Amino acid sequence: MAEPLVATFADPDAAARALTALQEAQVRGVRVVSPAPFPAVHLTGRPGAWRLLGKVALLGGLTGLAGGAALQAVTSESLGLVVGGKPILAWPAFGVIMFELTMLFAGASTFAALVIMSALARRRVAAAARRRMDSEHLVVVVPAAELDGPRGAAVRRALAGAGTEVRP
Amino acid sequence: MDHRALAQIERDTLATMAGTSWRYWLGLGASVALVAVGGWAWSQALRSGLGVLGLNEPVMWGCLITTFVFFIGVSHSGTLVSAILYFTRSPLRAAIGRSAEAMTVITIMTAGLYPIIHIGRSWLFFFVLAYPNQRQLWPNFRSPLTWDVFAITSYVTVSALFLYMGMLPDLALLSRRVTGWRRPLYRALSLGFSGTDAEWAIFEKAYPIFAGVVIPLAVSVHSVVSWDFAMSVMPGWHSAIFAPYFVAGAIFSGVAMAILLLSGLRRGYGLQAYIKPAHFDLLAKLLLAMSLVMTFTYLTEFFMAAYHGTEAEAEVFRWRATGHYAWVFWLVIFCNSVAPLALFWGRVRASMPALVAVSVLVAVGMWFERFMFIVTTLAHHYLPQAWGNYTPTWTEVLICLGGFGWFFMLFLLFIKIFPSMSVAETMERLHHEAAHPGPAQVGAPEASHG
Repeated sequence: MAEPLVATFADPDAAARALTALQEAQVRGVRVVSPAPFPAVHLTGRPGAWRLLGKVALLGGLTGLAGGAALQAVTSESLGLVVGGKPILAWPAFGVIMFELTMLFAGASTFAALVIMSALARRRVAAAARRRMDSEHLVVVVPAAELDGPRGAAVRRALAGAGTEVRP
Repeated sequence: MDHRALAQIERDTLATMAGTSWRYWLGLGASVALVAVGGWAWSQALRSGLGVLGLNEPVMWGCLITTFVFFIGVSHSGTLVSAILYFTRSPLRAAIGRSAEAMTVITIMTAGLYPIIHIGRSWLFFFVLAYPNQRQLWPNFRSPLTWDVFAITSYVTVSALFLYMGMLPDLALLSRRVTGWRRPLYRALSLGFSGTDAEWAIFEKAYPIFAGVVIPLAVSVHSVVSWDFAMSVMPGWHSAIFAPYFVAGAIFSGVAMAILLLSGLRRGYGLQAYIKPAHFDLLAKLLLAMSLVMTFTYLTEFFMAAYHGTEAEAEVFRWRATGHYAWVFWLVIFCNSVAPLALFWGRVRASMPALVAVSVLVAVGMWFERFMFIVTTLAHHYLPQAWGNYTPTWTEVLICLGGFGWFFMLFLLFIKIFPSMSVAETMERLHHEAAHPGPAQVGAPEASHG
């Protein structure tokens, strides 16, 4: 199986220039690995299912809201104890805990989704390429399918022109 | 910005983890000593019962609940300020966000101890949790004290996740930098984060969602704590202004504590290039603004009490300013309303010793403010024959001091184990500033002081 081309950059701006050049050469499937959210990480079309996160947070929040309502309603009914003259089902009073659990579940589900989605997303970049990233280096990965023939030469020219150390 | 600059940023921002000076050991030793003394005092209360505390009718809430409310207040501003700075894209965030978030989590962990200590039979604290049990009892969900349990546990959970999520990129970098047993530890803690573009896209989507969750949660937590008091019909407590008043007070005390912690970090670890005078200037202005808000609420409370004609209410406020605890009242006014006015002067804001002094006064003033409104209402409410004063015992004082030791101990351990500044965010911020130099950027390089 052909290996992807891994280019290492010591300068975030050089990586951004390389990615722009690759975009202009219509090279597809390029990925970047970066120690910080430099502009280069936004030049690959933001791949992955990150758009789902908002829906996950909403679903988590609604679960917390429903869970908070159910917890208070069911347990208050089962206990049946009147306190302070308030009705057994005191919805205005229950609102506080419903709100807190809405926020708790929205936050926790967002975090869980972040962990799971990140684990799935990183698998699409070769582990060897990911390992080359550190605080001083960004890594640009070009898929093997884009390296054949004249397109491969264009890729190497674009990367070398931006000032990279190209590794097979 | 090249790899040398990036490496330098990483080294500088991780400085708190790399070196251990005698000042660090001194601070940690003093904190541990305070924890030991506080723990010993608590053990006295556990062995002998709450009789060793100064609590008695009519003042059943004293120093312990005061310290609880104080620490909840301090916790409030850390994550809240960090989240607001995130949405406003403030350069201040890269410098103070991590420490502020850590301060939040640690202060809630500290605050949570005090109600547990206060109930006396601390080993039964789990009775307030909602879970199926053999007693077939459930907490009273109509009680603000139960709301408090849910609010604080939700806040500490979400704040801890917010802090942890922000640290994932840094932990991934650390796992590549350290050797030995720490490498697998940080690798595991980083949850495999490796900095791919797809991971950054997920991270950058999750962060604003989390920040959006944290802000209303932070406001709600201190509102709920205020309702522990305001939902009662006690004079001096039963007021609609209590929730915003608590939130403002919380931000006020939290900013003061943030200034104290950051000034220590900056001086102790040579972070002058990252935590700059301009950052402290912004924090000082925020402190001044919150001081004016607090002064306004004090005046409003007195005006309402004097004007609306409820005798008990008017008497409580009159007694606060002139009675047995008048010295507390005037200390609060001096620390929270008068001393921060010095921050109107740019020279005071630019002087680290002066800013630290004002912040210490505000922290002291806010603790005594919590003491003032809790104790004066209980000591002097409706029935004159039930009036009585409260004097804390040494046991209580030592338990409270132990809490401060606990807070500083955890913070000092945190900065030794985890980065106290966001490495990734600082890199991104400085790269952005290098690419887009502006005339008056807060993060721009400038001469340091202090």
